[in-house]
Amino acid sequence: MSREHRCALLAEAERAELIELADACIADGAQVRVLVGPEVGCVTAQVREPVLEQRFLLGDVLACRAEVELAGHRGWAMRLGDDRAAALAAAVLDAEAQCGRPRTAEIDLLCERVAERRERRESQEWAELAPTVVAFEELT
Amino acid sequence: MGYSGARGGLEAILAAEDLVRRKRDHAPAPWSSTEQITARFRLAVDRVMGEAGLYDEPTAADAFRQAEGDTLEASHLLRAQRSTLPRLAVSEPVDPGEMTVIRRIVPAFREPDGPQLLGRTSDYTGRLLERPDGRPEPDQEDHAGTSSAERTEEQRSPRRFMDLLRKMELLAEGRTTDDPEPHDITRKPARPPADRSAVLAAMARAESGALVALWYRSILGPDGDVHEITLGELRHGRLPLRVRHPHTGNPVAVGEFRVTEAEAIEDLDGADEDRTRFDIGYGLCFGHNERKAIAMANLDIANRRFGRSGPLEQLLLLTIDGLDSGGFLEHLKLPHYVTFRSMVERKQAMRAAAEAGEDPPARAAEPAGKDCR
Repeated sequence: MSREHRCALLAEAERAELIELADACIADGAQVRVLVGPEVGCVTAQVREPVLEQRFLLGDVLACRAEVELAGHRGWAMRLGDDRAAALAAAVLDAEAQCGRPRTAEIDLLCERVAERRERRESQEWAELAPTVVAFEELT
Repeated sequence: MGYSGARGGLEAILAAEDLVRRKRDHAPAPWSSTEQITARFRLAVDRVMGEAGLYDEPTAADAFRQAEGDTLEASHLLRAQRSTLPRLAVSEPVDPGEMTVIRRIVPAFREPDGPQLLGRTSDYTGRLLERPDGRPEPDQEDHAGTSSAERTEEQRSPRRFMDLLRKMELLAEGRTTDDPEPHDITRKPARPPADRSAVLAAMARAESGALVALWYRSILGPDGDVHEITLGELRHGRLPLRVRHPHTGNPVAVGEFRVTEAEAIEDLDGADEDRTRFDIGYGLCFGHNERKAIAMANLDIANRRFGRSGPLEQLLLLTIDGLDSGGFLEHLKLPHYVTFRSMVERKQAMRAAAEAGEDPPARAAEPAGKDCR
């Protein structure tokens, strides 16, 4: 799993599962340093519209980011919304996985769970939407 | 009537504020939670996010509750909140073609690539007021299992109708190789003449009613900037937001946000235009707000055609921001005692002069118009 893919899945994980696993990561006494405290701010959504393929700034999306150093490896996370604790926990998990520490496999499992959840959600959503697809009948 | 300085009103202001707080927060009715507002009043929440220019449903819902349902006031609160926040990043350019559609209709063509997906809408049913007697019964049905429809890429992210027109060589080509930096209207106000990026950004966070009114005026009013009205495509769906990972330099998705997108087809008929082709106007705004996206798309193409030859560009840049117009309107409620007293005294002086048989003073020209601010 690429680091970017893992970050994307951790950005979608539930707050409780992130914090629980991050607590487990640092329970062995590994040194943690917060490089960038969890900070709430905006990510400006820049869109390339499809007509003339020109860029414009649509607006801002609320986000929270954090950066840590764990056992000498840097971890970074950004998530939408303003949950500081979840962003900090995701950064810890990114660092844990980056240096291949003991909880790496559990982080991979968490990411798999998030991906499965997304897949289930999409299937459920389509099951609700599909009946609203228009089927035309030819009148002859 | 002479002038006398006066002060006061602080106690009245505090009492009025307290009255708002008590009646709102302690009304004899159940508390509206943030989750309840996002679930029950989603279109209002979406409208607030769009007009404020900040996407976050819970924050917009809190603003909506504090503003007692006044969407413009809620947008004001949300935009003020946004102004306190740092900019963490500018996203990688979002490609709207990546949208996972929740609703997608192509009114211009019966069978486009991909589905005519009505989604959650009451557009095609009669709107009658329902007065339910209490809460509805819980929904017992398992909707997840009611459809066996296969989920494909074509259904969830269909090709846009515009691509088909382009393939048929029916679209005027306006794409260029240059890629100018977009104008940031949150940092630098846009004034005519402005880049298209500034106009699109201004429309994206315009007050919805103002934008629709301007669009309608362009059709039926004296301006005539919008001619043929054909809606090519309308979508509501989710787009991924990606930023550069600070360690690897690669794009990373940090989440999704919902938008409404519209494409308006314009039948070119100008003497200097390619009359064998169409052009397309584009609209995109936060959340689910179809009226706004459609008006925006029509005004985009109208502005490209006529913005520099008439007042349209100026109207789009300077008059559709809800906070600007609403703020100006609200200021009328502040004391204007001195201004009005001077007006009264002027009238009285003119009447006295007329009664004394004097000619009225010559009226000075006002070449720049009245200064009403």
